[in-house]
Order: sequence, then C-alpha cells, then structure tokens
Amino acid sequence: MILRTAAALVAALVLAAPAAAACTQPRTSLSYLEGQIMCPTCHTTLDQSSAPAALRIEALISKRIAQCWTADQIRAELVQNFGAGILAAPPRKGFDLLAWWLPIAGVIAGAALLAFGVWRWSRARDGDGEPPPGDAGRLDPESERRLDDALARFE
Amino acid sequence: MSRTLKLSGQVIALAAVAGMLGLLVWRLTHQSHPPKIGGPAPAFSLKRIDGSGVVDLAALRGKPVVLNFWASWCVPCKGEAAALEAAYKRYRSQGVVFLGVDYHDVTGDARTFLSHHDVTYTTVQDGSGMVGDRYGITGVPETYFIDRRGRLVGVHIAGPITDPKLARQFDEGVRAALSS
Repeated sequence: MILRTAAALVAALVLAAPAAAACTQPRTSLSYLEGQIMCPTCHTTLDQSSAPAALRIEALISKRIAQCWTADQIRAELVQNFGAGILAAPPRKGFDLLAWWLPIAGVIAGAALLAFGVWRWSRARDGDGEPPPGDAGRLDPESERRLDDALARFE
Repeated sequence: MSRTLKLSGQVIALAAVAGMLGLLVWRLTHQSHPPKIGGPAPAFSLKRIDGSGVVDLAALRGKPVVLNFWASWCVPCKGEAAALEAAYKRYRSQGVVFLGVDYHDVTGDARTFLSHHDVTYTTVQDGSGMVGDRYGITGVPETYFIDRRGRLVGVHIAGPITDPKLARQFDEGVRAALSS
C-alpha cells in the first residue's frame, strides 16, 4: 500500500513537473475561478453547483489551466461563450463600473445625510431654554408701564 | 440656506423613490413569459455553431421550422439526437427546416456532440440563454414548431422525443407546421 502510494506520488511529480515548468507565468486554479463564475442554468457560482452545465464549465476551466491560460484569458473565453452574465461580479470597467461605485456613493451620501441630521438636531437642542438675544426679549415702554401698574396693584 | 437644503433633500429622496419604482415597473414589464401557441415565434438571430455566419429566424419565413433546444451536457439530448436526425431526413424533402439551438453550452463540447451524433441539420449557439429564456424553456431538450407564417403551432414539447407520447406529439407538430 505504502509502495503503491509512493509510486503514484513519484509518477504525479514526474508528470506534473514538466507541465508546470512549461507555463511562463504562475498557473491560476480552479478553486480561485469557480467562485467568480456562475452556473448558467442554476444561477449560483460554480463552487456551489453540481449541475451538469457547471461541471462542463469546470472541466473547460481545468483544461485551460492545464494549457497555461491565465485567469483573464479563461474569463474572456467564458464571456465570449456565455455572455457577461457568466461572471459573478460585473467587470471593473466602462458602464459596469457603476455597479461598483453606486453602492459606495449611496453609503457615503447616507452617512453625510445622517451626520447633517445629527448636527441640526444637536444645534436645535442647544438653543432650547436660552433667552432670546438682543432686544427681542425686552418690552416696549407702554407694555412696561402697564406691567408696573399691574404689579403695583398687588403690593 | 436651511430651506434650500431641506428642499434639495426632499427632491433627492423623491427622485430615489421614483427611480426604485421605475426599476420595479421595468422588471415587472420585462419578465419573460413563454410564448403562446398560435402567436408569433419570438425572433432571433444567432451564430451558427456548425459553420460560419448567423441564422435569422425571420429569413426562414415561408418554411415550416422545427426548433429544438438542446445542450451537450444534457443526458436526454444524447438519446434524442438520433431520433431528431432521423426525423430531419424524413421531413426535409417536404421542405421542413430543422434548427437546433445549443443552450448554455461550451462551444467545443457542442461541436463534439454534433460530430459524435452525426447531426447534419443547422445548429446555432445560444450561449447566454437569451433566446431560450425568450421561448420560456425550463430545461432541455424542448421543441417548438413554427409554421410558414412564423407562428408557433402544434404543441410545445418539453422532453426528448424518444418518449412514445412525445414522439406522437412531434409528428403532430410537424404536420401542423406543414399544414398551415
């Protein structure tokens, strides 16, 4: 059993080494790509699907990885074959950039609105109970005279 | 200043709500419904997988068409391929056009499938599945029949025509496409 395992390991190393050496750049991996690619029939990512279409796409990705294709090249081939809907996330260029920036802009706008509301509310609270500034709190002479008369009647 | 700000805020909020409502209405009005038998067959123009160029359904007006959705990863499609090819050979002398639509499939796998099963009628590629969705298909294989005037006729077959009941419906569908 141990001998058989060792032989299989040696054979795998012997076969894999020239193949890996043949690639001029680091290979991408199926596990890296399968979370970024959708299964077209079940609308989940490949890593969550065992549908026949997903398995065929995984087989194609594995084949392309063995042929030293980069992740970008594989994604481009899949988009050409299945359309942009095959990607789990929209591309970060052109009109699709909106899908990335709009949520961020929404969060910033919401935070700014919240901050402004809190600032307004705290200012309104600070103003409560303070005497009106300037002459606004003073009575005119006629009213002052009538108030003095009224107070005098109580004395 | 504060009145202007308040007004701006209200306008922005209203615009956001209107935008959301617009999206909801758009989504509801653009949901795909399966086409009705007797109604016009949804138009499409797709790239050929068995050769170069595109096939436009409108260009087939005047001919009865058997439209079969399939995929190389679909097990029942493998069983159906020979039956469809035999039917094509049986009906082509009467002017019936068979058109295979390869749905959500890898191009290389589809070509291997066609070669392996000796499929000789025209096949186009619907990689994104947009045309299949327009026809409201729920899986593969599924078959539609289109008459000379571009209307869907007969029955919509959901399943392989190797099934005796579906095989009968298939022949009825071809006859309906030929007769109208």
